[in-house]
Amino acid sequence: MSGGATDEAIAALRRIRERLDSGAGLAEAWGDAASGLPREAREALARAARRLQGDYPEDDWGFDEEFADALRPFMDFMYDRWWRVEADGVARVPAHGRGLLVANHAGILPWDATMMALAILRHHPLPRHPRFLVLDWAFHLPYVGTVMRKVGGVVASPYNALRLLEEDQLVAVFPEGVKGAGKDWSERYRLQRFGRGGFVEIALRAGAPLVPVAVVGSEEIYPKIGEAKLLARLTGMPYFPLTPTFPWLGPLGAVPLPSRWRIEFCDPIETASYGPDAADDRRLVMELTERVRDTIQEAVFQNLVKRGPAFI
Amino acid sequence: MAGRRVVITGIASHLGTELARRLEQDAAIEHVAGIDTRPPRVRLERTEFIEADIRSPVVTRLLPRVAPDTLVHNRIERLPGPQAHDINVIGTLQLLAACEKTPSLEAIVIRGSAGIYGAEPAAPQFFTEEMANLYPLRTRFQRDVGEIENYFETFANRHPEVTCTMLRYQPAIGRGLRTQIARYLSLRAVPTYMGFDPRIQLIHVEDALDALVAAVARPVRGAVNVAAEGTIGLTRMIRMAGRPVVPIPHPAFAAATGAARRLGLPPFSHDLRRLLQHGRAVDVTRLVEEVGYRPRYTTAEAVADFAGSRVEAEAA
Repeated sequence: MSGGATDEAIAALRRIRERLDSGAGLAEAWGDAASGLPREAREALARAARRLQGDYPEDDWGFDEEFADALRPFMDFMYDRWWRVEADGVARVPAHGRGLLVANHAGILPWDATMMALAILRHHPLPRHPRFLVLDWAFHLPYVGTVMRKVGGVVASPYNALRLLEEDQLVAVFPEGVKGAGKDWSERYRLQRFGRGGFVEIALRAGAPLVPVAVVGSEEIYPKIGEAKLLARLTGMPYFPLTPTFPWLGPLGAVPLPSRWRIEFCDPIETASYGPDAADDRRLVMELTERVRDTIQEAVFQNLVKRGPAFI
Repeated sequence: MAGRRVVITGIASHLGTELARRLEQDAAIEHVAGIDTRPPRVRLERTEFIEADIRSPVVTRLLPRVAPDTLVHNRIERLPGPQAHDINVIGTLQLLAACEKTPSLEAIVIRGSAGIYGAEPAAPQFFTEEMANLYPLRTRFQRDVGEIENYFETFANRHPEVTCTMLRYQPAIGRGLRTQIARYLSLRAVPTYMGFDPRIQLIHVEDALDALVAAVARPVRGAVNVAAEGTIGLTRMIRMAGRPVVPIPHPAFAAATGAARRLGLPPFSHDLRRLLQHGRAVDVTRLVEEVGYRPRYTTAEAVADFAGSRVEAEAA
């Protein structure tokens, strides 16, 4: 920081003190003091003051749009520079009403969910924030659970998924679950079992279209070469990954590798015509589950070819 | 048709007294009686006050004498204390014994607690009434509520002619109400679990009363959640109350608040601690559609009203 800027900041702090001493509220004091600062900084300060007084939007699920927007520059950097994401078929995501995005999953941190969300926010004609279902263990941890919730994460439970869809939200699920997250390097891009098809039951019950999504690139960011069972038990994590950098480099090891990504949104599969009772039809549920899984698997292979080498 | 006869337990509590006042004004109510160990703080016009402890067998003689058609069980102790378990479990048992001997009874409305759902990190965002058994009952108070619910369920099955309404209340907040959550928000510095910002759902005290009045007017069978619509993040709630937040790492929270208690600060019950770490919200569809009451305040509005009342009080 240059000398001039420091002086300006100190002067601003003094003005806050003076205004507070003369009996003004915190928000006003900040607002007045900041009048000497550039507009952007003023807005940021005003926003911070508002947040300190509890004046910020949050919905019933804890999603905090302002917070999510504040992370946007960092996410944009990851999207453009780090992973050089290319997104296809974003317009196939329903523009309004309910919808269930189903994607392949890799890595214990939901980078794939955030990049998917960003692809929709940047390229969809009517952008909206999708909610994504997060494995419940994240909510046992301090900070992790809070941040997940603020950016649109919701505990993965059928009750929550159904309720979100009934509120006409866009919901993202990763049916591979822990199995997908804990995949070995050698198994990358081979989709694991899609659970018992719970996500299809929910889509049928809510009459929400299923949108298969193939994510390529996420499976190279943390190449898992082994796991530590004892550490997993001690930390309560579903598995404790060992990668070439983690945990050897400490927190630095959590920095994802800069692979090149492609995200393809495939044609939606309509479910409303089956009616909500079809959710109990095992044959239909398994059939749709397989269809979604095959679509994603095929799209993953195609996009792997389109992408070419993983890191350059 | 003769008017209704209502008996209220715990009449000396804020909600008990207010309920009696509301019922007094209702011409359809012929008789109101209240049971408690101490008289209500304000004078009631036509409510018969019966001084008795619901834990004592004497209620078995008192209740049939009044011959009520509706019983409102409002004597459930939410604050931890040496008496709480006795009042909750033995009190309920004695009361039910009295109900067995009161053939005039048609409806029982219980002011229970949403605490039965617990506060769990991986819980559904909104508990519906049939989700009471998703998690084990972890705290003393939860086990008390579990027993109360079981007793009433058994009673309801034995007496299909009596409609039992189990109202599962979220914590109430409002002007002049000294609930645990109100005391918590009134601390000079408010401790929170570091890194946790749970979803909290409350009910405004006026809505708590109106929901009770609505349930007495129109008892339905089974459990009904009673809460304000919407949730609020704990941090946002404390900021709206205008208090500084003191984050404490979660392994040390119980010890820290325990030590603070010895210095004279109010206690943090096991339930409150779990609530502050993981939060809880319930679905109120049944309250709105079947009991026919829609709370007027959302959780955020209830907190704003509480914060406003305190600013006024401090200015005065």
